[in-house]
Amino acid sequence: MKLSSRARLLAAVLLAACAALAQAGDLVVIVSARSPVESLRPEQVAAIFLAQSPRFPNGAVASALDQAVGSPERDQFYLRVAGKTPALLKVYWSKMVFTGRGQPPRELAGSAAVRRAVADDPALIGYIGREALDPSVRPVLLLH
Amino acid sequence: MLFPSPAATSLSAACAGAVLFALGGAACAATSAPDWTFSGFGTLGVVHSDERQADYASSSMKASGAGRSAGWSRHVDSKLGGQLDLHLDARWSAVLQVVTEQRLDYSYRPRVEWANLTYQATPELALRVGRIAMPMFIAADYRKVGYAYPWVRPPIEVYSVLPLGSSDGVDLNWRWNGETLRSTTQVLFGRTDLPLYGGARLRGHAIGGLSHTVEQGAFSARASLVRARLSLSLFPELFDALDKFGAAGRDLGRRLEVEDKRASALSVGLHYDPGQWFVTGEAGSSKVGGYLGSTRSAYLGGGWRQGSLTPYAGYARVWGRRPPGPDSLAPDGLAPYQAAVGAKLNTALAALMRTVPSQSTFSAGLRWDAAPNLAFKLQHECVTTRAGSRGKFINPVPGYQSGRTAQVSSAALDFVF
Repeated sequence: MKLSSRARLLAAVLLAACAALAQAGDLVVIVSARSPVESLRPEQVAAIFLAQSPRFPNGAVASALDQAVGSPERDQFYLRVAGKTPALLKVYWSKMVFTGRGQPPRELAGSAAVRRAVADDPALIGYIGREALDPSVRPVLLLH
Repeated sequence: MLFPSPAATSLSAACAGAVLFALGGAACAATSAPDWTFSGFGTLGVVHSDERQADYASSSMKASGAGRSAGWSRHVDSKLGGQLDLHLDARWSAVLQVVTEQRLDYSYRPRVEWANLTYQATPELALRVGRIAMPMFIAADYRKVGYAYPWVRPPIEVYSVLPLGSSDGVDLNWRWNGETLRSTTQVLFGRTDLPLYGGARLRGHAIGGLSHTVEQGAFSARASLVRARLSLSLFPELFDALDKFGAAGRDLGRRLEVEDKRASALSVGLHYDPGQWFVTGEAGSSKVGGYLGSTRSAYLGGGWRQGSLTPYAGYARVWGRRPPGPDSLAPDGLAPYQAAVGAKLNTALAALMRTVPSQSTFSAGLRWDAAPNLAFKLQHECVTTRAGSRGKFINPVPGYQSGRTAQVSSAALDFVF
């Protein structure tokens, strides 16, 4: 009997954890609807956001747009495409900035602001909550 | 031989700064306002060493350390750096980085570490003019940014083999990406002139550097080669006395003095970091004419990330080889007064030869990422000097005994902003 109540507790905890994850929501990586880019792999997206690749795979120059430091979208995005926690991301940019090799992407607050900026400029790439998608932008990668 | 005057050199540094601000002004006048960013980094550290016959120091460019000067020292790792980045347009940008830490003259006078202007010719090709940190080893160009690496300091056995920190000149960075493999090639030319203390200076000219970095997924590697001609005007009394000690003394002095001597360093580093854990290994070899001798060095370190905690451990070793040929004066056939001077000179020469480092270090530590821009580290090391040398220790007592193991404990708080 005791065991089953423990199992029930465990199930409840797991369920709560799943709910929390679902709340964090799916993220989509977006480009302008006018961009010819159709889809990207996570490592291609990571390379652009980490200033390791200045171009989309089709050769067009790419410029990344970040969400605000500390936002759940940003933390989830880097964890999913690059396996980097906020602390590891800070370490990465410290190496880049203090050797003059690059600056982190420009930041905008909120999915709506990122979507509006990306829609207007085919060189931009951003990430937003899936629910913020609209026809002005094209999803190129879905991150569960 | 080309010896730039001190005035000329400080002028070149001043020029680099002036260029930065002049360009800032020019760009302000233009229609699009330039972006500028101020950022910084620092370390507050204390180190304790139980070795009383010499000081444990993070580099040979320090005046004091822990052990002989004081049991506890805050000078080994403490530093503060500030950086101004100026983004003028899509092609032009500039960076100025100033760092204050203890120098050989005991002062914390700030030094310009980076001051350069970048021209981004294409998204893949960048040309820089100004002061550029030497691209040696994996971490040499960010070795002052404690927050950027897991340990309290990069392994001193490997990272202080060549006393060259930066070069005033030009470099070229070329990025070439394959499907999954990303490569960066850097070529550098320049010179350097660094005041040490008193009138002593470190001068390097005809500095040439080549570094190549590859990254693929969790794996990265860097190989680098640096060559230069070095002059290090330390121990002038010793070399003056040798010069006056007949033909044998003169020959010995000219061979050992680091005066326009060839220097080269080669390094290869591998880093694997899938996120949960990491392992880093580097090996290097250096060869400098004169008393600095040649070294081979290597380290292997790794760690495990558990939430905000990262326990780590490592082993580092440097094997020094003294310069070829005799390194003392032969006492035969000298008049008694000459023999007495010769014996004194030989004592000084023996102390000089102990600076060619042979040393090993076992280290273990814990990094705690307390906040996304703040890390606290505790580290313990067992440091053993070898082969009759004083390893990387500084300020030894006259009767220094090699071969002892020092217990060195460090605590550091690293931050970036």
